[in-house]
Amino acid sequence: MSLTQVSSNKCAGGFQKVFEHESTELKCKMKFAVHLPPKAETGKCPVMYWLSGLTCTEQNFITKAGSQVPAAEHGIIIVAPDTSPRGCNIEGEDESWDFGTGAGFYVNATEDPWKTNYRMYSYVTEELPKLINANFPTDPDRMSISGHSMGGHGALICALKNPGKYKAVSAFAPICNPVQCPWGQKAFSGYLGSNRSTWEAYDATVLAAAYSGPQLDILIDQGRDDQFLSASQLLPDNLIAVCSEKKIPVVFRLQPGYDHSYFFIYSFMADHIKHHAKYLNA
Amino acid sequence: MDLYEIREERLGTISEEAEHQEISRESTTMEPYHVVSDKGGRTARDVSTFQRFSVDTNESLRFEPCEDMSPSPTGAEDGDDEDEVFRDGGKESETIRNRLQEKVAEMESFAGHLEEIFLTVEENFGRQEQHLEQHYNDVLQTLSQRYDERAAGLEEEKKGKLESLYGQLLACGRAMDASKELIETAQEIYRCQDKRLFLKTVMPTIKRIEEFAKEEIDLTLNTHLEFNTPLVDLSDVKTMMDSINIVPAPSAPVINPQMPNSATQTSLRVCWSLFSDDTVEYYELYYRPVLEDTPADSTCAAHESKVKVKETHCTVTDLLPNAQYELWVTATNTTGISPASEKALYMTVPCPPVIKQRECTSCPEAALIRWESGNTNPVDSYTVELSEMGTDGTQSTVTESVVAVPTCQCLVQLQPGRRYLISVRAVNIGGPSNRSQVITVSTTGTYFHLVEDTAHPCLSISEDGFTMFYGDEELPISAMALDDNTFARCVAVLGDLVPVRGKHYWEVEVDDETEFRIGVAFEDTERNSYLGANNTSWCMRHILTPTRHKYEFLHNGWSPDLRITVNPVRIGVALDYDRGTLSFFNVDVEQHLHTFQCNLRSYVHPCFSLDNPGALTVHNGIEAPEYAFI
Repeated sequence: MSLTQVSSNKCAGGFQKVFEHESTELKCKMKFAVHLPPKAETGKCPVMYWLSGLTCTEQNFITKAGSQVPAAEHGIIIVAPDTSPRGCNIEGEDESWDFGTGAGFYVNATEDPWKTNYRMYSYVTEELPKLINANFPTDPDRMSISGHSMGGHGALICALKNPGKYKAVSAFAPICNPVQCPWGQKAFSGYLGSNRSTWEAYDATVLAAAYSGPQLDILIDQGRDDQFLSASQLLPDNLIAVCSEKKIPVVFRLQPGYDHSYFFIYSFMADHIKHHAKYLNA
Repeated sequence: MDLYEIREERLGTISEEAEHQEISRESTTMEPYHVVSDKGGRTARDVSTFQRFSVDTNESLRFEPCEDMSPSPTGAEDGDDEDEVFRDGGKESETIRNRLQEKVAEMESFAGHLEEIFLTVEENFGRQEQHLEQHYNDVLQTLSQRYDERAAGLEEEKKGKLESLYGQLLACGRAMDASKELIETAQEIYRCQDKRLFLKTVMPTIKRIEEFAKEEIDLTLNTHLEFNTPLVDLSDVKTMMDSINIVPAPSAPVINPQMPNSATQTSLRVCWSLFSDDTVEYYELYYRPVLEDTPADSTCAAHESKVKVKETHCTVTDLLPNAQYELWVTATNTTGISPASEKALYMTVPCPPVIKQRECTSCPEAALIRWESGNTNPVDSYTVELSEMGTDGTQSTVTESVVAVPTCQCLVQLQPGRRYLISVRAVNIGGPSNRSQVITVSTTGTYFHLVEDTAHPCLSISEDGFTMFYGDEELPISAMALDDNTFARCVAVLGDLVPVRGKHYWEVEVDDETEFRIGVAFEDTERNSYLGANNTSWCMRHILTPTRHKYEFLHNGWSPDLRITVNPVRIGVALDYDRGTLSFFNVDVEQHLHTFQCNLRSYVHPCFSLDNPGALTVHNGIEAPEYAFI
């Protein structure tokens, strides 16, 4: 469980750092980014986990999302892990951008050859929080989760599968119903096999329909000009329909003119940090 | 008591003077009397009449035993040394002793009082004696002067008479001499022997005798023997003598200017003084209202009223509030009436203002209190008094006053999370009015009322003023009489938010099926447009479509595209002037719905509208949840 600091840069009054560690869950070296707000120097801070989207590493978020200033303002530590195991030498892991490396889909794979390393769900919900709580001035009871695209899907399922574990959840252009979209179907069939019923355990829309637990408040931002929205990869309407029926509070904002990029994320990052701060600092 | 009654007769004429002194003394020696009064358990009023020493106020010196007096708290400490045995009776005897002590104190004060009266009487007696002596001297002097005058007159008359008699005597002598000479001449002629000579001379002599006989000699006294003694007019002396027994008519009293706190809404306490040498039986106080709309020289001046009093003060009652009165006073005694004093202007205090409960609005930092003057004519200013209410419901004394408020409203700075009792007084030169009714202001949250003047004719507002209804029935055109302030198109109404650039929070309760717009708008937002359709209003709009509930957050006709999965039925509205934000929350699930960034160039007011028949309730005075202003 030893951490190796890869980089450290003063940022927004605190520090943006990147660490490397040997993951027991993923059986490979993993990097993660952590932003420590100024408040972390004197006291314990809540943690927001950020799950990135397809093809991303821990770098994309910390360099493009503009989260540090608002996070520093609200005294929130942000932890951004990588999106998949890397360098595991699994055959075909680098063949496509939407499966394998950079596309872990935040599931625990059950199929060979992925099941040994591709356990991103356990990594982000168990191993990583333990590691973070052990090494940083955190308040373990106050954590929340957010993400983009595949990471948005990850954030939603982590929250829906662990009632009460995350105080808040939000997402940018999440894959809301992976069972129904090409990306999800490709990934789930690869990682989880052909039995579709096992997929549902990682589908936000299905999970929402069965959710029971403390009140969740979900904030979702979606660019209207997102090509993946029109390609029916994201399917937010399905999730909204279920949440409306189940009375799970969601504010879904369709932002005109925005696409799927980090420029879109950057534009609404402060709103999301505020959404998390409302519950993390309550 | 007896002493006083015996003396009263004699004191009658000087008592006023004594009282006059009494009054001036009252102001300086009030304090010791208060101490006595506290001990004796008498009311302050009793004490003041007790002190007052004037004619026809026998009662004022009634020396009442105070049967119902409570034991003095100071007495308790004195009984410590008593033996155990006497403990039982101790209390009773203590009570008696306390009462005795009080009575002794009272009697001492009474004796002191009598002594003063004695001194006053003596002093007055001395003065009166001096006065009498002077009067007698005056009379004697007058009489002797009169005597001298008369004597001189008589002497003069005597001299005249003697002179006239002497003249008459001389004339008589001359006539006698003439007749004697005539007789001698006649005799000489008669004796004359020479007939021719006789004849020669007799004729002229006979002529002379005839002539002489013709002359009648007036032998009557042409001077009256009686001296002419005109009736002596001693009336002035008599008056002087009489005036020794009576006192001179008093001179004009001096009316005092109005004293602070001497006026009430309908009464004025007027004081005046007299010259110390004057003796006055009673005063007559005249007063009449000064009507501002009639010119000063108008003949139709208000009718004057008159009161007769024996004291040098009087409380005139049954007056008009907030009115100026002209007062003057005359003093009268047995001799006569004094000239009138100068005219003094007094003013009754105004009626208390009437707080307009429905137009008072508050937030955690301040309250805007509005009231009606309560007076038809203008007052000088208003005083707003506020006291904080303790957590146990006790009211502290007035903790703060805002004075010299020129208009009928006042923004009072307050502390958050407290309860205040606020009242208003109207003030004029005569003093402050009574307190208005008290309004309770709780600074838990923002509190406002709806401005019914702005309400669209189809919108009715409940009695408590917080629920609005948009009924099904069509209104006749005649009922659509609109003024400029009324929403003409949108079935809307404005709230009256306190003009404080802070944080404000309120909640709105709606029905799931009600189409509404809630938010804020500038006071001058277009009455002919829909809320949110212009750049002077910001609102959340609920629209029922056949398939779903649609929510819009409208400003200038534009709304972001957003979906809300749980229909808010209780909506929190958070307005933050500092950040220029207006946020909406689903209160039941504590969900943030939307935040506007607004350019709040001036104060905004809450606005509400119903786009289809239904109802909407405003909840006020709620403490803003923490999440409302992250």
